[in-house]
Amino acid sequence: MPILIKMRTSILGVTFFGMLLAISNSQAQTIFACEPEWAALTRVLLPQARLHVATHARQDPHHIEARPALIAQLRAADAAICTGASLESGWLPTLQQRAGNPRVQNGAPGLFFTASTVKLMDARPGAGGNPFAGDIHEEGNPHLHADPRRLLEVARAWNQRLQELFPAQQAAIAQRYEVFQTQWQARILLWEKRAAPLQGAKVAAQHGSFAYLWNWLGMQQIADLEPKPGLAPTPGHLQQLLEQLRTKPPAAIVITSYQDARAARWLSQQLENRALLLQLPATVNDPETPDALGRWFEQLIDALSTR
Amino acid sequence: MNKPSFLLAAMLSSIFSAQAQQVGSAEQWQFGAVLDATSTSRALELGTRDKGLQLGHSDLTASGPLGRHLQAQISAVVATHEGKLEKSFEEAWLETRTLPLGLSARIGRFASQIGYLNQQHPHADDFVERPLLYRAFLGSHWNDDGLRLNLTLPTKFYWMVGAEAFRGHKLVAHADPAVSGAGAFTVATKIGGDLNRSHSWQVGLSYLKNRRIAALEEDHEEHMDHEHEEDEHEHSHAHGAQFGGKQMWLIDGTWKWAPDGNNQNQQVRLTVEAARVTGINRFATSGQKHEALSLSAVWRFQPAWEVGARFDRLRVAIPHEDHFHAGRLNEQALMLAWKPSHRQSLRLQLSRQHGAVGFEQAARRSVALQYVLAFGAHGAHTY
Repeated sequence: MPILIKMRTSILGVTFFGMLLAISNSQAQTIFACEPEWAALTRVLLPQARLHVATHARQDPHHIEARPALIAQLRAADAAICTGASLESGWLPTLQQRAGNPRVQNGAPGLFFTASTVKLMDARPGAGGNPFAGDIHEEGNPHLHADPRRLLEVARAWNQRLQELFPAQQAAIAQRYEVFQTQWQARILLWEKRAAPLQGAKVAAQHGSFAYLWNWLGMQQIADLEPKPGLAPTPGHLQQLLEQLRTKPPAAIVITSYQDARAARWLSQQLENRALLLQLPATVNDPETPDALGRWFEQLIDALSTR
Repeated sequence: MNKPSFLLAAMLSSIFSAQAQQVGSAEQWQFGAVLDATSTSRALELGTRDKGLQLGHSDLTASGPLGRHLQAQISAVVATHEGKLEKSFEEAWLETRTLPLGLSARIGRFASQIGYLNQQHPHADDFVERPLLYRAFLGSHWNDDGLRLNLTLPTKFYWMVGAEAFRGHKLVAHADPAVSGAGAFTVATKIGGDLNRSHSWQVGLSYLKNRRIAALEEDHEEHMDHEHEEDEHEHSHAHGAQFGGKQMWLIDGTWKWAPDGNNQNQQVRLTVEAARVTGINRFATSGQKHEALSLSAVWRFQPAWEVGARFDRLRVAIPHEDHFHAGRLNEQALMLAWKPSHRQSLRLQLSRQHGAVGFEQAARRSVALQYVLAFGAHGAHTY
C-alpha cells in the first residue's frame, strides 16, 4: 500500500510539474515587433518568445493600415520593439490607443524605440512642417538597421531592456547577447573585406531605404528616383535623372521589394542597361528563421557584388 | 459650453509643462492644420457644402501626452456655412492610456464611435460629402460632450465593446429641449481581423438611445405658437440631425485588399453601412421608421491615384402633425482623387440625386472640386 501511495504522489508530482511547465510555457513572453528586422533580433535574444510581426519585407513600413488584427496583437504584447523616428507615426499611435495595453504605451518600459539608441543620419530639425517637401523625418533617416554596426548598438540596448523586463531570464539573455555580439563583430569584418571592391561605387536608389548600407560600405547614392522623400517617382523627375545619369551611369539602380519596379526599369532601359537593376528586400524576408539578419546582409552584399 | 472651455484651459496650461518635460523623449506634443477648399456647382439635398467656393472642414489640432497616464487632443474647426465663417471646438478630450484589462476611458468633446465613418475626420473621407445616412441622422458628423468607456478584449481577433453618454444636442434639428444630464447613450462593438496577408476586415454594430426626441415632443405641445419662428431660425443654420428617433441601430462592414498588404501602390476599400431609426415621435407606430444604406468602393490603382463610387439610399417617414409622409432620396457619387503625397489631395466628384419624394432641393447633378492640404503633424489614421 505505501508503495501505491508513493506512486500516486509521484504521479501527482509529475502531473503538477508538467502543469507548471505548461503554465510557464504559456507564459512565454509575447513581443510585438513593428518591423521584421527587430523581430529577428528579438528571436536571437529571446528564442522562446511568441512574436507578432506587424509588417514584412513586401510592405512599405511608412504606410501600414492600423488593421484590427494588429490592434489585437498589440493588445496581447508584453513588450513592443519599433523603430521610432516617425517611421510608424501613421499607424502605431492608433494601435496603441485602440489596444488599451498599458505595457506598450509611450513612456512605459515595455515600449522600445530602436532609433533612440543610435545616432541617425540626415537629421533635419524643423524641416517637417512644409507640406510640399515630402515626408521628411526630422529626427533623421529611420532605416538604420541596414548598418550592421548600428544594429549591434541596438542589440546591446534591447538586451539590457529585455533583462530589465524579464528578470527571471536575465542571465540567459545576457549570455545570448554576448555570443551574438562576438560573432556579429567578426562577421562585420568579413563582410567589410568582401565588400571592399564596392567602395566608392555610385548607385541610384528609390528612397533612403539603404542609405545606412551605402554609408557603411563607402558607397555613394548619386540619385533618388523619388522627387521628394516618400513621393512616388514622376515622369518629369525621371526624365531629369536620365539627363543627369546618361553620361555617367551609376553602377546599379537599387529599389526595394515593396516598391513598384516600373520607374526603375524604365530608367535602366533608357540607360541601355549599363546600370544593373536590383530589387532587394529592405529587411529580412523571414524573421522566424535562424540567422535571418546575417543572411539578409549576405544577400545584399552578394547582389551588389555581381557585376 | 462651460465644461469644454474649462477643460480646454486646463489642457492648454498643461501642454506647456508637458512639453518642457518631454524634450528629448520620443513623445512630444504635435501640432497640425488642415485646409479644405471646395467648389461646388450645386448644393446637394441634406448637404453641408453650399454652392460656389467654400472653406470646408478646416482644423487646427494639438495632441499629445499629459504625463504617462493621459493623452489629450484639442481641435478647432473653421468652415464657411451659408456665407458665414463658423468656428467651433470640435474636439477637446482627455483619454486614459494606462488602465488595466484593456480598458480606456475618455472625457470631453469628441466624435461618437458609432458606425464606421463617424470617428474619422471629414478631411480624411473619400468623398466630398458624408453618406446620406450621416447627413440625415447624425448631422453629418456627430461630435458631442460626453464620456466613453471602452474595453478591448484579449482575443486573437480584434474585439472591442464600448459605451458612451453624451449631451445629445446635435441629434435634434429643432430648438433644444430641456433635458437634464445626458441626452444620448450609445453602445458599440467592433470585431475585425485579417483573412491573410492581402485581405482584412472589420464589422461593427452600434445602438443609439436618444432621450431628446421624447423631450422635444412635450416641448412641441407647450410651445406650438413659437415653433414656427424657431423653426425658421434653426433651419437657416441647422447642423443637427434632420431626422431623428428614440432609437437607432447601425451596422457597418469594411473589407480592404492590397497585394501583400502593401497599400502604397494598390488598394481596394469596400464599406457598407446601414441604419434604422425608430420611435420617430409619439404618433409613430412600429411601421414608421427611417432607414438608410450606404455602399462605397474605392480603388487606388496607382500610388497617387484613386477612383471611387458610392451609392446611398434614404427612406424616411416625415412627421406631419399626427401622420407621416413618405420621403425618399437616392444619391450616387463618382470621384477621382489625385494624392501626390498624404498631405495633399485634389478630388473631382460628380454627384446625382434622384427618385426624390419629399425633398424639394434634390440636385439632379452636382460637380465638386475639393483640395485638402495638411500642414505639420497629421495624426495617425484609423482602419
